[in-house]
Amino acid sequence: MTEISFPIKIHGLSKVYRGKKWQRVAALRQLELTVRSGEIFGFLGPNGAGKSTTIKTLVGLIRPTEGRVTLFGQPAGMAGARQRVGYLPENPAFPDTLTGREFLALVAHSFGLARQQGLMAAERVLDMLDLTTAAGRPIRSYSKGMVQRLGLAQTLLHDPDLYILDEPMSGLDPIGRALVKDIILDLKAKGKTVFFSTHVTADVERVCDRIGVIVGGVLQAQRDVAGLLREGVEGYFCRVSNCPDKVLQPFGYKGRDDVVQELFVPRDRFNDFASQLFRSGGSFDLVEPQRRDIENYFLSLVRQAGEL
Amino acid sequence: MMRRLGIFAFFGVLLTLYVQLLGPVRQVMEQRPFVEKLGLIPHPQALKLLFPDFRALLGATILGRVTLYFGGLVEHFDDPRLLVKAVDYPAMSRAIHTAVKLDPYNMDAYYFGQAVLVWDVGKYRLANELLEYGMRYRNWDWQLPFFVGFNKAYFLGDLEGAAKMYMRAGELSGAAMFKTLAGRYLQEVGKTEMAIGYLETQLAGARIASVKKVLRLRLTAFKALRQIEEAVDGYRRRYGEWPLGLEDLTARGMLAEIPEDPYGGRFYLTEDHRVRTTSKFSLTLGAGKKKKVDVTPEETLRDD
Amino acid sequence: MTLLGATLKGIFRDRVFRGLLMVLVVFAAIPAVSTLSMRQVVSLCLTLCLSLSSLVLLVLALFLGGTVLWRDLDRRYCHALLSLPLSRERYLWERYAGIALFLGLSALVLGGMTWLVTSFVAAGYPPGRPILWTVVFGCIALDLLKCLLLVAFAFCFSAFSTSFFLPIFGTIAIYLVGGASQGVHDYLRSSAATDISLAVRRLADSLYYLLPNFSLFDIKLYAIYGLPLQTSQLLLSGGYFLVYTLLLLGLSGWIFARRQIP
Ligand SMILES: Nc1ncnc2c1ncn2[C@@H]1O[C@H](COP(=O)(O)OP(=O)(O)O)[C@@H](O)[C@H]1O
Ligand SMILES: [Mg+2]
Repeated sequence: MTEISFPIKIHGLSKVYRGKKWQRVAALRQLELTVRSGEIFGFLGPNGAGKSTTIKTLVGLIRPTEGRVTLFGQPAGMAGARQRVGYLPENPAFPDTLTGREFLALVAHSFGLARQQGLMAAERVLDMLDLTTAAGRPIRSYSKGMVQRLGLAQTLLHDPDLYILDEPMSGLDPIGRALVKDIILDLKAKGKTVFFSTHVTADVERVCDRIGVIVGGVLQAQRDVAGLLREGVEGYFCRVSNCPDKVLQPFGYKGRDDVVQELFVPRDRFNDFASQLFRSGGSFDLVEPQRRDIENYFLSLVRQAGEL
Repeated sequence: MMRRLGIFAFFGVLLTLYVQLLGPVRQVMEQRPFVEKLGLIPHPQALKLLFPDFRALLGATILGRVTLYFGGLVEHFDDPRLLVKAVDYPAMSRAIHTAVKLDPYNMDAYYFGQAVLVWDVGKYRLANELLEYGMRYRNWDWQLPFFVGFNKAYFLGDLEGAAKMYMRAGELSGAAMFKTLAGRYLQEVGKTEMAIGYLETQLAGARIASVKKVLRLRLTAFKALRQIEEAVDGYRRRYGEWPLGLEDLTARGMLAEIPEDPYGGRFYLTEDHRVRTTSKFSLTLGAGKKKKVDVTPEETLRDD
Repeated sequence: MTLLGATLKGIFRDRVFRGLLMVLVVFAAIPAVSTLSMRQVVSLCLTLCLSLSSLVLLVLALFLGGTVLWRDLDRRYCHALLSLPLSRERYLWERYAGIALFLGLSALVLGGMTWLVTSFVAAGYPPGRPILWTVVFGCIALDLLKCLLLVAFAFCFSAFSTSFFLPIFGTIAIYLVGGASQGVHDYLRSSAATDISLAVRRLADSLYYLLPNFSLFDIKLYAIYGLPLQTSQLLLSGGYFLVYTLLLLGLSGWIFARRQIP
């Protein structure tokens, strides 16, 4: 019964689209994924990898060809399963004859919020996303970024436990991106669960607890971001002083005329280098870890999958 | 600056061309043949199946077109001899029959049929068929049996049938006047008088200029007839014998001159001393008209 | 705000009601046109008013019924709306109710206009027979029911179609066939049609019973000529509408709930 408490549980999910001329597109293959409560999960993958397909299955817009998907233990696709979920569609669009405020009232009503409660919640999220001045205008007058922010506001409105965001940062300017990251971190601090997709690795590093990389409809890996960052350190860039050249030479240092001594030390030889340095009377001026970042990790997985 | 000038020139040239076209367009449209002007009317059954919701509207539209078409010919009415050439009676008849198939309650159709079509073309039996079809639907309306009765008595000589119709009109209207009508038709003298009465009633109720003009023309003819009939009676009273011909009336000063039949016919005296006209008060039956007008619709009217 | 309210608001914001008010200007011309009639000015006036009302309701039904769902799908509003905890059936029915409410309101306005114009004309040209106002308003009400049935058809088509082509033209086809079906049926029963083959008769018969019969909703001639009408016929039409529409809405909901929205 503990499984039931998982905000997202995907088991053996496959999806085949039937395209034009009865063409079949296998968008997802045997996807296994669990998102734990309170986790920020980044769903990383190149364009066309199947991120949106996964997310649309989660919120019941499409049905799986195979497999089981549950939200808090309830089968996805049932209206009730979405009660505790805030969903931001990819490139969202909202009934554009309504004003932002009216649309939020519609959302609040559908989540069963009382009128007064809904109004207050709407003002809170409008303010949070800097939409208060535009809230009385019809959505058709909004810019792309404003619509995206309204989409985020709409997910926050009823204070759900699980956020499913499809490319939340796309279409936003740098200020907007920073805002979204802050919001996500804020949600994490409140113990909420966030599942978001992106194809930009830089979005992932600062905010995610865990990432899953999907390429060609297959989940290639799931990793803990902290561990990945730790493991990713390949060596250190060091600036030392008063060190004899013979200590430095085995690390590929070629004697230079100037006073500044700089070199790269691989991770597994760092301890060795440090003890030699101290023994010879030298000292560190600067040590900088050199990491293979998530971008590289991502690219290597994509390469493995044969998509590059 | 050049751009502005170009825009002005563009619209200027096109507007001038448009204005230039207006005249020729109007001319061509005015010179269309009659059938085309009245419009080709699709088969009523097809219309009914396609637009069942709008059958009353279609019926009214067709009649509106007939009225406008007929009204447009009003300049010809001063010379009725030209009228029969100008008016496309078969097309009007078809249009009216289509209209009543679409909306069998439409009184305008029966009224127009009776006031214009029947008399001018002289198809009394066809007219009565149309009117009796209408009586099955407008079963509250006294005018239809009144029209049928008049046609029967005056044109078809079916006095018994006419009497029945007048009784029916009397029952429906509750007016006593119809009860006496049948009896008065039995006498020849009353006949012309009644026709004049009938026409005067119709004229009083007429609202469309073209119809009024037609009725007035007919009234003129009947008044001429009455004038001659009165002269014949006066001749007999004064001289104790019947005139042998209408020339006797002018010769002996009973009439200054024989009035003209506005329908282009010639008044004459029958063997039994009755006044008749060669035109039979019909444009197509009139003297010298060899043209036969067939106004029979493609289909007979039946209930559906 | 409910989805029903949002639907209604959306229709107003699209200036559909303003369009309707523009059409009302046409009503102002009706008294003048009516005087073209030789013998039945009031009847012609009623013919024009009722036909115009019928046409306006039909156009609204086709336009709204055919485009509202299609637009949600085409502009991808559906992704935002259907991911709310709102069942697909509920979504569809609230949209329908919104359109129905708007059409009802339009019928009310058109009925008011008909009353106004006809009363004005009748004051100048007293009609030969009294105007039966209940039948006149009943006629507009039945027109409304017919249009609501058409909207249900448009929804049914929209539930599985991706373009607005099928909803609009399919509904027009239903309108034409449903209007003609009684006429065809009567013709096939008449003596004129004895040489028509059995297969054709069977086909026509099954279509007659399967497709809606809009003749049931047409009492224009009764309204125009003040012919008395039995209440039972109105009740029968109302019941027929209710059963048929609920069937269609149920079917649309069932289809739409199974639809993939990629
Ligand atoms: N409606 C559809 N019909 C056919 N193929 C589709 C459809 N939607 C997506 N696909 C295909 O499924 C794959 C995954 O698409 P998607 O989930 O949108 O990718 P992502 O969101 O990761 O960019 C792509 O190859 C795409 O072409
Ligand atoms: Mg995507």
